[in-house]
Parts: sequence; structure tokens; C-alpha cells
Amino acid sequence: MNGPYVQQPGEGQPTPGAQPPTQPPAGHTQQHPPVVPEQQMQAPHTAQQQTAQPSAPAQLPHQQQGAPAPAAPQAPGHPPPGQQTPGQQTPGQQTPEEQLADLTGATTDGLREVDTSNQNLQDGVNRCPRCGATDIQLRASSGMLMCLFCRHEWSEKQFDQNKLGNVPISDLRGTVIGTGAAEIQADVNEIVTMKCSGCGAEVVVNTAEAMSARCHWCRHNLTVNEQIPNGAVPDAVLPFALTRDQAIERIREFTNKRKMFADRTFRKEFRPENVAGVYMPYMVVDANASVDAVGEGEVQTRQYTRKRGDKRETVYDADVYRVERHLDFMTDDLTLESSAERADMNTLVNTNNIINTILPFDTENAVRWNANYLNGFSSEKRDQDVSHLEPVLENQLLSIGRSRLTESIRNYGRGVRWEAERINVRGTRWVSMYLPVWLYSYYHTERGKNMVHYIAVNARTGETMGSIPVSHGRLWIAAITSGTIIEGAAIAALVATL
Amino acid sequence: MNTLLIALATVLPIASSSSDGYLLALLLAGPVGGGVVYWMIYRYYRNTDKTHHFEAETRVETRPATGSDTKVNSIRGTRRRAIPGRNDGDHRTRVRRF
Repeated sequence: MNGPYVQQPGEGQPTPGAQPPTQPPAGHTQQHPPVVPEQQMQAPHTAQQQTAQPSAPAQLPHQQQGAPAPAAPQAPGHPPPGQQTPGQQTPGQQTPEEQLADLTGATTDGLREVDTSNQNLQDGVNRCPRCGATDIQLRASSGMLMCLFCRHEWSEKQFDQNKLGNVPISDLRGTVIGTGAAEIQADVNEIVTMKCSGCGAEVVVNTAEAMSARCHWCRHNLTVNEQIPNGAVPDAVLPFALTRDQAIERIREFTNKRKMFADRTFRKEFRPENVAGVYMPYMVVDANASVDAVGEGEVQTRQYTRKRGDKRETVYDADVYRVERHLDFMTDDLTLESSAERADMNTLVNTNNIINTILPFDTENAVRWNANYLNGFSSEKRDQDVSHLEPVLENQLLSIGRSRLTESIRNYGRGVRWEAERINVRGTRWVSMYLPVWLYSYYHTERGKNMVHYIAVNARTGETMGSIPVSHGRLWIAAITSGTIIEGAAIAALVATL
Repeated sequence: MNTLLIALATVLPIASSSSDGYLLALLLAGPVGGGVVYWMIYRYYRNTDKTHHFEAETRVETRPATGSDTKVNSIRGTRRRAIPGRNDGDHRTRVRRF
């Protein structure tokens, strides 16, 4: 009965009817070798054991609008089209082999860094490709950048994470990171001084708080686009797709379902119009890993009743097996918080778990960095490096691996007790990314304890989660009332049986 | 309904132990039910138990699991419904590393 286990196609699928109690684990047949040769492994996206998870929302257009546009009026104080300053962005003239395809890479400290900087942009003035104005903002309803002067819309190119290292996830070895995820250097100043190419003035931006500033002389909008090792400029950004009004509606809907036991002061002060659009910093990781787990499992062989004193009791016979499993797997776009403050999810002192809950995002639709996507929104700077997040990644990979082993132990009807486990990470690919969140915050003080309650809306999928401060007085009333009713029902049941 | 089920699950083992246990369970039904109601409403409002289900919501490609199953023992007449320390559904709790 003992033997090697190899997962069979379709194994673990639910079958109608109860399993006979004497049936041993399916893996006990010795028809297969314990290790599957590479050639037999199914190609990605075709194997039955593979799963492709969340359905991404409708993709946003990321191509520059190609339709001919009517001649735009020239912005006062801006050069006409075709008379742009050196170094200025002109997405329409981009070659297909731009930065991401130029993946020579550099190796530092065992990491392979791939340059992901947007070479078309610079720190300072970056103009509308049609009229040359610098007042550029994201239009959330279309996911495109829009010139506030001539209404021209365009987008940065889609960020293709797979081009980092130029290998599929299954061939990843070592650690590959985008330069936007490079180690943060403590001696790099957060203050960036940019020279305004419109008038020559020097404009200072504190990258801890903003990624753009307006020239105080000529009113040009200046943006920070060059990657500096302080964590301010990520590899990619996922633009807002949900408008502010849509976010307000979702927050209102969420709180309306939670009115009765909400804190009275919260109800009085609740103003969903105060919602803020925030780009949160994350590391998006592809990983090629394997997990090993060892434990014991039990298979029921018999169920019967026996007499014990005056009572009859149900007892079971079972066979105990030593279970060993190995699983190779690849994860795509695992998303980790890269802000230490947000990663702290102690629900006794904060509500950061709320922001974590609205994951995942459709990160495959992220675009290359352009600070103009942040205009009108706030952002939080990354303060965690790859080295800080590696233990978190290993922990999550172990959890994923263990969850995927469930299929292979389904025949152990009495369950498995895993006793030891091991994760082997062959290769990872890290990209730092800003992800869009609509965030409503409420500062609440109760019995001298302060807490910020968040209601967060995923600005791509619309998934909403929140923490509403409760009225403990009302909760007690509800508890005592229902307790009394249950007690009354129990006593009534007792009386009826006498 | 959930509240009632949880309260029953709490008090039934006590009730089944003896006649004294039955009375004790009767007394406990109200307080346990009230406590369950309090906790369920609190959790619905505060969502302290919610996190990203990365195990299910991340795109994962797996290859066929391999390994072995070796019979090491047989047990007879146990009252336990499941293996002691069962944790195959608790993916986030770490066990010893090897």
C-alpha cells in the first residue's frame, strides 16, 4: 500500500457521494516515479493543476490616441507644437525598443538590477506632446493623462514586468529587481532641486510629500521623474480608474449598511466627500519556488458505535501515514506592502488590514512612471527594500505552497498534520509600484485610545473595505437582549421536555 | 441563525456530559449567545479579521505534486473525528522549518 505519490490529472476534484471509509489515499499506487521529469510538466496556463486567478477589470487603453486631433490652441507662455525643449517627452515618437527592452542589467551584491527609468522624461518641465503646456493630470474615467489646456489625452506605455530579465517566471534564477526597487540609501536627500526649463528658476520639491511643484515664477508644473535611491520614484504606476464620485458612492454604500451600531459621533461627523486619492507603495513580485512539507495523515478505515456505561459512543479506526509532498510553483504579481507603517497590521492599534484587504490590483495594467499621474493625488513613499521584504515573501510563498498541496492530500479524510516545511526560492523578480487607493480616514478617540479608522476603495476594481467605530453601549444592549431571548428559548425547551 | 448554531456548538458538549452539565448548559446558553452576538456585530463593523487572501487571489501556476505516503501505524477505537493537531487547512500558521 505504501509508495510514492504523484498527483494525477483531475485528482482532488470533488466527486459525488461519500468516500468509502476503507479507501486508502489515491497516491498509494506505484505506477509513477516520485519525481516528474521536466518534459512531462505541462506548459503554463494549460496544466489542469494550474489556476489563473482573479478576473481583472476591463483593461484601460494604454496606447496614445492616434486619431488626428483638431489643431489645438497654443497655450499662452508655451511653445507651439514642434518647438519643444530638449529632453521633452514625445510619446508619439517613441521607438518600440524603449527602456524596458534595453535590459542589459547591472549586478550589485548578488542582485541584478534592470534599468526601468523612463528615459523620455526628466526632472523638471515635461510638456503636453500636442500643445506644450505643462498642466497635465490623470483623467481617471479614461485612465489617460490629459492636458488641462488642450484636452489632449495620451498614456505612458504599459509596464511589462516579464521583460525584467527577459525570462518567463519558470526560468527565473536569483534576484532581479527594477531600478525603482533599488536599495534606499540613507544619505540620499529627499529634497530634489529642479531647474525650470521655462524660466531658469530653481524649484525645490520634498519627495517625501510631493512629486511635483509649480514654478513660482513662470507657473510651469515641474515633475520628479528621474530615479534616485530614496524610494520616491517607483518602476511603474497603476493609474486611478475609479473616479472620486464613484469612490464616494461606494463608501456611502458601505457605511449605510453599518449605521445602527456605529459610534454616534462618527455618524454625525461622517463626510465621505473628504475621501482622498492616495498612491500606496508596493513591491510586486514574481517568484519561482518550491515547497516541501512533511507530516502525518489519517485515513478512516471503520466507524462504529460501542457501549460505554449507559451510553453509546461513536468511535473510529484509522490508518496513519507518513506524508511527504513536494510542489514546484510560480507566482505572478504577488503584492507586498513596501511601507513599514502600512505593513504593520496589528488590529489592536491600527486598521491597516483594511487597506491590505482590498488587494489585489490588476498590476499587469501598470504603466511606466510619469509623475503627472500623481497630480491631484497624494502618495506615500516606499521605505522598505527587497532585503526587508524577503522574509515576508518567503512566508507568503510557504502559505501559497501549503494551500496548493491541499489537492494532493484530499484522500486523507481525517486530515493531515504538517510537522515540518521548507521553501526553496529559485528566483524572484521585484518591481516597485504605486497602486491607487481612495481612502477615507476617521480619527477616533475612545477611552483615551486613539485610532485612525480607514474605509478604503480599490481604485481599479472598486472593492471596498472599512473599519467603522462602534457604539459599545448599543452593542451591549443588542447582546443582552439576544442573550435573554436565547435563555428564554432554552428554558422553554426544558419546560416542554419535562 | 449563526448565533444560535455557535451557541449550541458551545453548550452542547457540556450538556451531553451529564445531567448537571445539562443544567449548566442551559444557564450558559444566554450569556454565550449574547457574547456571540456582540462579537459578530463588532466584527462586521470593524472587520478586524479581514486580510488579503493572497493564497487564493494570486495567480499561481503549479506543477504536479510529488512525494510519498508510508503507512506507519493503525489506531483502533478512537473517539477523535480528525487527526490531532490537524493543520492542513491552516496555511498561514508556520510549522518547523527543515
